[in-house]
Parts: sequence; C-alpha cells; structure tokens
Amino acid sequence: MKTTITLQVNGDVYELSVEPNQTLLDVLREELALTGTKKGCDSGACGACTVIVDGEPVLSCMTLAVRCQSKEITTIEGLARNGELHPLQKSAIEHDAVQCGFCTAGWLLSAKVLLENNPAPTRAEVRTAIAGNICRCTGYKRIEDAILAAAGKNTGWRKKM
Amino acid sequence: MKVPKFEYAQPKSIGECCKLLEEHGANAQAIAGGTNLMVALKNRLKVPKMLVDLCCVPNLNGIRYSQKDGLNVGALVTLRHLVADPVVREKYAIFARAALDVGSAQIQAMGTIGGNLCQDSCCLYYNRPPMWRQGLEACHKLWGTVCHAVRRSKTCWATYCGDLAPVLLVLGARVKIADPKGEKVIPLSELYSGDGKVPHTLHPGQVVMEVQVPTPSANSGGAYLKLRVRKTIDYPLLGVAVTLALEGGDGTFRDVKVALTGVGKAPLLIKAADELKGKKITDEMIEGLAEAAYKQAHPVNNASGLTPKYRRDMVRIYVKSAVDQSLEAATRRGGGT
Repeated sequence: MKTTITLQVNGDVYELSVEPNQTLLDVLREELALTGTKKGCDSGACGACTVIVDGEPVLSCMTLAVRCQSKEITTIEGLARNGELHPLQKSAIEHDAVQCGFCTAGWLLSAKVLLENNPAPTRAEVRTAIAGNICRCTGYKRIEDAILAAAGKNTGWRKKM
Repeated sequence: MKVPKFEYAQPKSIGECCKLLEEHGANAQAIAGGTNLMVALKNRLKVPKMLVDLCCVPNLNGIRYSQKDGLNVGALVTLRHLVADPVVREKYAIFARAALDVGSAQIQAMGTIGGNLCQDSCCLYYNRPPMWRQGLEACHKLWGTVCHAVRRSKTCWATYCGDLAPVLLVLGARVKIADPKGEKVIPLSELYSGDGKVPHTLHPGQVVMEVQVPTPSANSGGAYLKLRVRKTIDYPLLGVAVTLALEGGDGTFRDVKVALTGVGKAPLLIKAADELKGKKITDEMIEGLAEAAYKQAHPVNNASGLTPKYRRDMVRIYVKSAVDQSLEAATRRGGGT
C-alpha cells in the first residue's frame, strides 16, 4: 500500500506517494530524477549512494524512503548554490580528484559532513571519514588532497600549467 | 536489488510495538537502523509480511550517566551519537572504540546500539543473493538439513560477528527487554542463544530497549582489538575485548574479563579469566589466559579473507596484546601506582 510522504531534498519540498519497500536511493533517482546519487553495490559496502540526511552521512540504498518523512536531505545536486560550485567541488576539479566519477558524489558528501563537524581535519581524519567510499581509480591521494585543500590546508600540490 | 514487499507500521509506543510484533509472530520484523536488515531483505534471507519501525517509539534515543547507576544507552542511539558522547569517550573508552570499529562513517551514522546487539549471525554460504544460493542445497539457517561450512554437521555454524557485544560483556552490561507483558532486565550474555540458526533468545514480541553498563572502577583499563581484511566495513574475523582492574600498588588483578567475537556462534566470555581474580600478574598467567581463549574459540570455514586456523592462532596473540594494552591503560589511570 502506498504511503504519502514529504521529503525535503536540497531545500525543495516534495510530496510523494511511495511504496514502503522503496529505498531512498530509488526514490531520488527514479521519482525525482536526481541521478547524481549513484547505485554501486546496493548493499551498503561502497558508499556511492551516500547522501546527507539531517546532517549525517547516510547510505541511501540502505534507507527506506518512508522513514525519511520530513527529513532534510542533501544530494550532490544540492551542493552548488546559485550556479556557484561548492568549495569541495572546486577543489576536486583543481586537484584532478575525479576520474570515472562514480564515487565522487558519495565522497564529496562524506567530506562535506566531515568539514561541517571538523573544519580543520588531519589527513588521518579525512581517511577515516571517507573510508566508507570506495574509489577504484584515483588511489585516494588526490581525493584526500582535495578535501584538505578545501579545508584550507596546504597540501603542497601545484597544478601544472 | 529490490526490497520485497511488506506492510509497514510505525508504532508510537513500545507497548504498541511489542503487541504488533507478537500478533504477527514470525511474519513480523522490527527495524532500527536497518544496516544489517536491509541487506538480508534484499537477499531474501528475511521476507517479513510486516515491518515494524522502531524509529517513532519515544525514549529509546537517550544516553544517561550517573556514578551510581552507570551508563544507560537507549536501543536507538546511533553508533555515531554514542561515540560523540564525552562521558562514553572518557569512562567507557573501549565501548567507543568498538563502535568506531563498526563499518564506515555512514554505517555508524545509521546503525544503532540495539540493532548491533541483535544483528544476525553470518555465514559465507548464507549471506548471499538468492541466485547464488540456488546452486546449493538449503542449509540449516535456511531451514534445510545441511551445513556447507562444516560438512555433515547437524547444526548451523553461522558465526556471531557483532563488535559491541564482547565489549559490553566484559563491561558487565545488562539489557532491558520489553515484551507485551512488561519489562525485564537480563545480563547481556542471556540475550545470545549459542545457536547459529537463531542466535538470539528474544521471543516474538520482545524488543531490546536499553543497555545498562555499570561504572568501571577507578583502577581499570580495557582494550578492543579487531582482526579483519578491509579496515572499514568488514565484520570481525576475530574480535577480542578485555577489561581488567588492578589492586592498588602491587600489580594484582582485582578483576579481569576477556570476551571474543567472530569465532563462535555467540560472543564468548572466557571463563578462565575469573580464576585470576586476586592473583599477582605474571607472564605465565597471561599466557594461560590466551591459551584458555584459544581453546574456547571455534572459527569455521565460513568467512572470506582468512583461514579458520589463522583466525584461531591469532586469538592467542590478540588476547595477549589486548591484556598488555589494558594493563597499560589501567596503570595510566592510577592502578599501578
């Protein structure tokens, strides 16, 4: 039986009719067409589907949409404001921290939560925060550099012109 | 993978919740954080007709502490919330350590204390998608008659892999359980049945409400060590929790407790540790304790990554390291001076 729920996604309020067995990930991708959030392993191990729910990093593939009634959800589409990229996104581009891009949405949101709670993290803290986000391309070094640079730390990295 | 269809209820009180669970019996399933359950649902290991969501039950979300009563943690407190609590970090450092060792930041933000204690036992031949399982005869845990991990075994060998249970066992925790008739408090060890097939002793209609942990004594220290392949996500292939308290000055054990996880059908409290109370600490004594733990551990070939022999051999080493670290922590707190 379908249930009506209200979701606040990236500041917009949506009233949706969902089946209780639909995951938040499926609702975001299929009902709201917010396909920036990726479906990776679909079993909670890869972190590609990470979104922010009420300030916490959450695996949307493991969350039932009916449980998100009235919760504030941020997806990758909500990171840029008024056409201006989020500092983390800018830093990711500057540091070439993106290759295939499948994990990017997930780790950017994990990093956003980290920096909100800890504005000046150490490299070890960055590693712990993104440990749940598997990247098979970059080897993590550039992702870590990008996050540290966004937190205002000098990572000694210079872009070759 | 789609989640199977079910009816969904959000009871507003614990009484209503227990009643619903009792009414639907084996067809009902309670959900807290969902990190363990959702994978089981997707893999069709559980196909409940009624999903009872605990999220709206009041008063399961708090952490309270007093010197006299110790720590009370509501079943719905998330691991992330627990770790952020200053009292837990200071007075129950190994509880916080174990919570930090569960899964990733995302899983810690979703997973709850109650859910972690009630997580199902794991087996390489059970925790698999339906297509994979089709190639094998149904095992004991799927209500069949064979065990693929231990050939010709008449019982299920699925392993209990929770991280918090061993730590809470050595801290002497008790759990408050609600059922339709009322509430009761039992020692945590009684929550586990020791049966791989149904690892908990909870009956339909019973729900874990709260964990109660006594205040550790002043001269005590502890450690939790976890063996795994991928440092995030993985369940423990072996987990060792130790707490010990020292008699002031002369290096004597006032109390020592050791528990294992990931190497048995339930979290194992090592009985031999009780005999060391009041004795002077020697290297032989710690060796003996490690040997006793080794004897009680029975890892079987049902986890990927490391062989059962390696995991069992590591019991000795991990117990010794954990005791050393605990002694250090206890001494730091003033036990050795």
